[in-house]
Amino acid sequence: MLNQAFDRLQSYDWGTDPGELKSIDEAVVATCGDAAARQDLETRLAAVLKTDASRAAKDFVCRKLMVIGTAASVPALAALLSQEELSHMARFALERIPDSQAAAALRTALKKTSSALQVGIISSLGTRQDAESVTALAALVDQSDQAVARAAALALGTIGTPEAAQALAGARPADAEVRLAATDASLACAEQLLASGDKVSALAMYKKFAGGDRPKHVRLAATRGMLACAGK
Amino acid sequence: MGVHQPTRRDFLKTAGTAMAAPYVITSTALGNDDRPPASDRIVMGGIGIGNMGRGDMGAFRSRGDVQYVAVCDVRKNFRDAAKAKTDEHYGNQDCQAYNDFRELLARDDIDAVHVATPDHWHAAIVIEACRHGKDVYCQKPETRTLREGPLMVEAARRYSRVVSGGSQRVLEDYRGVVDKCWGGQLGAIKSINVNVGPLSQPCNLPAETVPSEMDWDLWLGPAPWAPYNKARCDGNFGTSGGSWRSYVDYSGGGMTDWGAHHFGGATFAVDVRELQPAEVVYHDDAEGKYLEYRYPGGIVLTHNRPGKGNLDVEGTPGETRPAKPVPTYKGQGGIYGDFIECVKTRETPFRDIEMAVNTVLVCHLGIAAYQLQRSLKWDAARQQFTGDEEANRLLDRARREPWQV
Repeated sequence: MLNQAFDRLQSYDWGTDPGELKSIDEAVVATCGDAAARQDLETRLAAVLKTDASRAAKDFVCRKLMVIGTAASVPALAALLSQEELSHMARFALERIPDSQAAAALRTALKKTSSALQVGIISSLGTRQDAESVTALAALVDQSDQAVARAAALALGTIGTPEAAQALAGARPADAEVRLAATDASLACAEQLLASGDKVSALAMYKKFAGGDRPKHVRLAATRGMLACAGK
Repeated sequence: MGVHQPTRRDFLKTAGTAMAAPYVITSTALGNDDRPPASDRIVMGGIGIGNMGRGDMGAFRSRGDVQYVAVCDVRKNFRDAAKAKTDEHYGNQDCQAYNDFRELLARDDIDAVHVATPDHWHAAIVIEACRHGKDVYCQKPETRTLREGPLMVEAARRYSRVVSGGSQRVLEDYRGVVDKCWGGQLGAIKSINVNVGPLSQPCNLPAETVPSEMDWDLWLGPAPWAPYNKARCDGNFGTSGGSWRSYVDYSGGGMTDWGAHHFGGATFAVDVRELQPAEVVYHDDAEGKYLEYRYPGGIVLTHNRPGKGNLDVEGTPGETRPAKPVPTYKGQGGIYGDFIECVKTRETPFRDIEMAVNTVLVCHLGIAAYQLQRSLKWDAARQQFTGDEEANRLLDRARREPWQV
């Protein structure tokens, strides 16, 4: 049944009965705890990504690798990151594979993809809280491409390390929406600094947003943060 | 398990919603003898004006203390109809219609928005609304993934926004059960059952021509790309195919769609709505396939327990407990009035986003247990499964560019 499903995958497309691939879904569950069987399943799935199977078929494969993929699948997935039609589904798996090689593949692709796809890769690095990408992301916050700059700012906020906080403190985005994202990210970093006990750094970040012509809700957030730093 | 490291979430939890800072409500609308002055009216817009969104829009727009100024929907015919209805209501042409919610959120004159898009959009829009200083009423189920919930709560707390989940049924439909439990006549509550389903399924419908009035790319938003098919995106309330509620990229199926109501009612009745389960036990045995959620303190919530009815409660026969006052809405006008009242007073709404998230979390934990076909332990402090890397992969789903939360 499993072999039949893999055969079927080669001609699978939108409109095909997804029940034809049910054996693969069942194998994902059944191979839990059986390392050899799981590895074999993963290898077979990753191999499909290198064929001329349809977008729908590769979409299906990436969803399964999201659950069972390991470092072994990273090369096959990474090769899709620069493809407009499949970059997102490659990230669907890579974002959730815990192995550090998945993050490394995303970082490498950051330098090699179009700005439209970069936004997605940046988002995935942020979701992974990938501290190693902070330097690369910091360089993107002041970029002229609004979508990339905004994504980079938000990703730094999600990563939330002191280094990410520093990177945001040095950013000077010209675009209003990027500034809003950088503000939100800075407040997120300040919260993380405060939670980790670094009240001095947190206070310095909050003070930046407590006055001037900041929107009211931002000043409110910063004021609350400053009060929290003072133990109130 | 190591010592819990405080997180920024912990800080935001203790800081609370209310701040001793006045909130000036802006409005550009003119008043008349039957309506509060413009300065007292909440200026609102709606994002997602389909089946539920139309109802929410009507409820808010009909209030004298709301000035409804904007509608947003990726289907031109829907947003044009919503604008027309709103203009008719006010006798002017002032309502603006948007395809892209970001343009609506960028307006400084809008105080609050209601969100009734398909579920896969809820988190991104609610969080962005908070970033733009808006209060939000968000339809249930409020989240599509486990990771989204804490992020929505974080955004609400960071900016001291009033963010209410939906589900008027939690207080209204299950009142009899709630009153019995809170009234003390059942004694110590041991368990409550919820019957709901099904889970959502993959969608592989064939491609059809995209209608000219539909922005298909924006409808999909953060969900994986797929070809347009009417049945894929239809907003009917079915959960067994032929509607977005049926399909895994947009919804958790009946488990979340009606689960938000039933689990919401159940967790309210047994007073665990501020808690999260510590464990979900998967049963697939002679008795049948069902789940047990075990809460700190000992209360058990079951899902689809054979032989049990929906919201069947097990108390302690022969025992009574002192009655507790049942929390209820603030203001007038049900859950909508509760939201508006809290926007004015900065109080916490009945369906505060944290409690709404706790409810939908129950749905998502169950989906994970059924998908993996095993029991799972949940660490509420870390917002992850304990000792189950495979389950932790299910905490979130990568969003299609350019969308992120």
